[in-house]
Amino acid sequence: MSIEVKNLSHIYMQGTLTEAFALTDVSFTVEDGEFIGLIGPTGSGKSTLIQHLNGLLKPTSGTVLVDGVDIWSKGVSLKEIRRKIGLVFQYPEQQVFEETVFDDIAFGPRNLGYSPEEVERSVEAARQVVGLDKELLSRSPFDLSGGQLRRVAVAGILAMNPEVLVLDEPAAGLDPKGRKEILDNIKKLHESGITVILVSHNMEDVAYFCQRILVLYDGTLIADGAPREVFTKEKLIDSIGLKPPEVTILMRKLRQRGWSVREDVLTVEEGFEEILRCLGTKGVALI
Amino acid sequence: MMSSGAIIGQYYPTQSIVHSLDPRAKILICIIFMIVLFVGNNFYAFLVTGIFTLVCVFLSKVPLKMLIRGLRPIVFIMIFTMALHIFLTPGPTMFQIGPLKATWTGLMQGFFIGLRLIILICFTSLLTLTTSPIELTDGLEDILKPLSKIGVPAHEIAMMMTIALRFIPTLLEEADRIMKAQMSRGADFESGNIIERAKSLVPLLVPLFVSAFRRADELAMAMEARCYRGGEGRTRMRELKMRKIDFVAILATVIMSCFVIYTRIRFGPVLPPSMV
Repeated sequence: MSIEVKNLSHIYMQGTLTEAFALTDVSFTVEDGEFIGLIGPTGSGKSTLIQHLNGLLKPTSGTVLVDGVDIWSKGVSLKEIRRKIGLVFQYPEQQVFEETVFDDIAFGPRNLGYSPEEVERSVEAARQVVGLDKELLSRSPFDLSGGQLRRVAVAGILAMNPEVLVLDEPAAGLDPKGRKEILDNIKKLHESGITVILVSHNMEDVAYFCQRILVLYDGTLIADGAPREVFTKEKLIDSIGLKPPEVTILMRKLRQRGWSVREDVLTVEEGFEEILRCLGTKGVALI
Repeated sequence: MMSSGAIIGQYYPTQSIVHSLDPRAKILICIIFMIVLFVGNNFYAFLVTGIFTLVCVFLSKVPLKMLIRGLRPIVFIMIFTMALHIFLTPGPTMFQIGPLKATWTGLMQGFFIGLRLIILICFTSLLTLTTSPIELTDGLEDILKPLSKIGVPAHEIAMMMTIALRFIPTLLEEADRIMKAQMSRGADFESGNIIERAKSLVPLLVPLFVSAFRRADELAMAMEARCYRGGEGRTRMRELKMRKIDFVAILATVIMSCFVIYTRIRFGPVLPPSMV
């Protein structure tokens, strides 16, 4: 399934004193099976943009096409769009409300009119994907820990069998272990064929997981490309107050000191190899 | 949600004589005005209170359009009360629909009641439009202070109001966010009958309450961490001080009130002499 955003602009509170341009002329296409990272500083319009993808916000101008159909044209069921494009908000655990974990995960499927058996099946499938213990299903969500609750919330979206998954800072506020778990889950989901759009501040995560990066700044899309391309645009990244992954910075500094390492290194493993290679050519003995 | 046009409780920041008045003076003037508005029962009283309101609006530099927009939510109430008056007041018949008799006296009365409502809403919204929430609660605290001798927790009431006002935008934003999150899960807030709609609010209200309680907890903790111990012995960064202009404003209100009371005694209810 493809999503095509064409010349999208959004103005909040149009025609009032507090009118604010949130997005200006944003265009891009998401192809089936991609893993896209959406980055940008706070207030750059990331959240506004993703809310357009499943029809929560209506563009002031421009269109959002899902499989070639404008989602705001007549006869398009926004409910169906929202099923296809699952949107996980930031701190999604705050939207949990049911008495049991099972019921909360089942909220989406029930809204879609699934039969009790189908509901049971999709909840079970979602539970397995996020790795939630089965016995937790009958507990109250308010007894769970932060990390567990986050998984319940993500499962609530997964239970609707989305084809595209959009996640707004899914790892925010989690400890390193919870962070790794949730990101590994997302990677697994992508491998199973779901298109993923990941909104994040963490350049390491984005560099590690994504095949393509979109950079938003002040409501405009200023870069769109592979992580290697984007993160080596040093000036661009610095000028908008973002920071490339630590290891990319390290490589940059080594180059400044006369090392002939590659600059487009994104992961620690790669950096390690690169330094070894360089040391080898310099003829330094390794112990 | 934010475009509903209700201006009650909104602040219109600008610089004007009315904005610069002491909040206590403004609250006092408002109370006097409200009483007088219900004392006045004739043409002259409405004329005077109406002009007084218009003068205040002019002095406050609040656009008249904004005030009129604020009247929109009460249009229904106004039409309803006017209709009740037109049909239920005895007097000479204007026209008749079945058993319902519309009377001229009723029309006049309905008209004045409507006018009274408009003036009331305009004048009281002017108070909040020209006074920032902080000033307003500071003023209220001072006015209630004498009552603390008989056990009215003046400072606490003011503090509660400040906090409540402060969190209205926050809660609205939060409600908007949760609503969108639930809509992403296929929730439907817009269609269905009343019962279905009320039920559909549960996924919104439960998380909203949970987070409101959490916020309250955190705020209380943060206040205690900064040694907040209630109002006793607490000083203010901005002390309220009555100036000459405040007394002039109060005096003007009192003079207007005296005139209205005089017209009530002199002319009696509703009609100007020429229309009787």
